Amino acid sequence: MDICFDQVDFTYQPNTPFEQRALFDLNMTIKDGSYTAIVGHTGSGKSTLLQHLNALVKPTKGTVTIGDRTITPETNNKNLKPIRKKVGIVFQFPEAQLFEETVAKDIAFGPKNFGVSEEAAAKLAAEMLGLVGLDPSYLERSPFELSGGQMRRVAIAGVLAMEPEVLVLDEPTAGLDPQGRKEMMEMFQHLHDERGMTIVLVTHLMDDVANYADHVIVLEKGKIVKAGTPQVVFNDINWLKEKQLGVPTASAFAEKLIAKGINFEQLPLTADELADALLKGSKKAGEDQ
Amino acid sequence: MMNKLIFGRYIPGDSFIHTMDPRAKLIASFYFIGIIFLANNWQTYAVLAVFTLFAIFLSKVNIRFFIRGIKPLIWLILFTVALQMLFTQGGEVYFDWGIFSITEYGVINGLFIFCRFVLIIFMSTLLTLTTPPLDLSDAIEYLLRPLKVVRFPVHEVSLMLSIALRFVPTLMDETEKIMNAQRARGVDFGEGNLIQKMKAVVPLLIPLFVSSFNRAEDLATAMEARGYQGGDGRTKYRVLHWHVKDTEAMIAFALLTVILIFVRS
Repeated sequence: MDICFDQVDFTYQPNTPFEQRALFDLNMTIKDGSYTAIVGHTGSGKSTLLQHLNALVKPTKGTVTIGDRTITPETNNKNLKPIRKKVGIVFQFPEAQLFEETVAKDIAFGPKNFGVSEEAAAKLAAEMLGLVGLDPSYLERSPFELSGGQMRRVAIAGVLAMEPEVLVLDEPTAGLDPQGRKEMMEMFQHLHDERGMTIVLVTHLMDDVANYADHVIVLEKGKIVKAGTPQVVFNDINWLKEKQLGVPTASAFAEKLIAKGINFEQLPLTADELADALLKGSKKAGEDQ
Repeated sequence: MMNKLIFGRYIPGDSFIHTMDPRAKLIASFYFIGIIFLANNWQTYAVLAVFTLFAIFLSKVNIRFFIRGIKPLIWLILFTVALQMLFTQGGEVYFDWGIFSITEYGVINGLFIFCRFVLIIFMSTLLTLTTPPLDLSDAIEYLLRPLKVVRFPVHEVSLMLSIALRFVPTLMDETEKIMNAQRARGVDFGEGNLIQKMKAVVPLLIPLFVSSFNRAEDLATAMEARGYQGGDGRTKYRVLHWHVKDTEAMIAFALLTVILIFVRS
C-alpha cells in the first residue's frame, strides 16, 4: 500500500494569533514494502507529517493518498478507521498509552476496536507479546508494574496486534539501553523482511538509518530538502554537517581514513560495508606488493 | 479541540495594559465585576462599554479574539437572557402564554443581562490575554498575604497555583498525544451514544492520571534535591513593581465609579 503526499500544506490553529505553519508543499511517496527513514531537526515537522500518515490530522491544503483512500482538507472525520487499522503508529514514548488492568487486555484493545473477536484478540495478544520478546507470564500482569523498557515493548505489541500493513515508528528506541535498542531494531527489520511490512522510521540516530533504511527523507523547517537512498543522502558529508544532522559512525571513520590517503569506491555507511571495503583494499594492496 | 479555546491564554505584547502591574490588573478586573452591578440604565451601560472598549484599545489586542472568547459561553448567556425575558413581570405586555409572558421590563432586563455578561467576559479575557499566568499567580500570592493572620497557607496555595498553571500546557500536550495514540489504536472520541462516549474516555483518563502521579513524584524529588524546604526564609526572584500607570488605572476606575453613581437612575 503506497502513501502519497501531493502538495501537502499543514497549519496549526489557522486564523488565530497562535497560527503556525508546519508543513510546506510536501511531495513524497512511501512505497509499499519500503523501509523509509525520516530525519530532521526537532521542530522540522516530522511528527506533524507522521500524523498525516493515518489521517489523525488532515492537510490544510493538498492531498494525501493512503492506499485507495484520498484525504483532502474536506474529508469527513467518519469512517477513517479502516485507514487506522492499515497504518499503525508507534508514537514517541508509547508506554504512556497503556491503561488496561492486564498486559493481555491492553494489547488486545487495538484489535478489538477494529472488530476482532475476544478470543482471536487474546490469541493475537499472546503472539505479539512473544514477538516483542517478553515471556507469556507477563500476560496477566498489570502494565504499570513493569519496567520502562518492558512497558515500551507492551505498547509496541499493542500496535502490532492491529496487524497493520504500514508500521510508523517515532523514535522507538529513545531512552532504551543499547541491548534493548538493538533487539528492537532487529525485530522491526524482521517484520519488514519476513512479513513484508512497510516501515516508516523517524529517528535522530544516523546509524540506524544507515543500517536499516532503504529510503531517506530529510526534512527542514517543514520542507523536504533531500530524499533518496541512504547512499545518495549520506554521500555529501559536508552537507550533512552543515545541516547538523550527524553522520553514520562508519562514514565518519571512513572520512578520517580518506584524509589519510585511503580511497573507497563508494562511501561506506555501515560497519560491514566499511570492513568489506577495507578488506578488499588490503587484499589488493597485498597483491600489488 | 483545544484550538478554539481562547479563554485563559496569553498573547505577548508590550502595550499599556501588558506592562501594567498584575496586581493592579487583578484588582481592577474584580473591581469591574463589582461595579458592573451599579449599572441599571442605558446610559450607565454605555459608559461601561466605552470604558471597556477603551481598555481593549489600549491593549492593542485584536477585538476578534474577545468576540471569540464569548463563543463558548454564548448558550449560557442566551439561556439566562431567555429566562429573564420569560419570567420578568411588569410594564407593557407583548406576549402572553400561560406562565410565560414577554413584557417590556423582561426584554429590557434580558438585554441588560446580556450586556453585563459580555462586558464581564471582555474584561476577564483582557486580563488573561495580557497577563502571563505566572505573573497572575504572583499577584494572587501578594494579595492573599493578609490571610496569613488567620493561618491561611498562602505560600503553599500560591506554589500549588503556579505549579498548576505551569503544567496546564504540558498536560494539554500530553492529552493530545495520548488521544492521538489511542485514536491510532481505533478509539473514536466523541462518537456514538453517551455510554460509548464515556467509555472512550477511559483510555485517555487513566494514562493521564498515571503520568500525573509520575510527574508529581519526579517534580517533588527534583525540588527537594534543589533544597526546597517550604516557604519560610525564601527570597523572591520575580519582584512585582507598582508604577505610576497602575495608580492612574486605579484613578480611572475610581472616576468610573463616580460617573456610574451619578448617571444611574
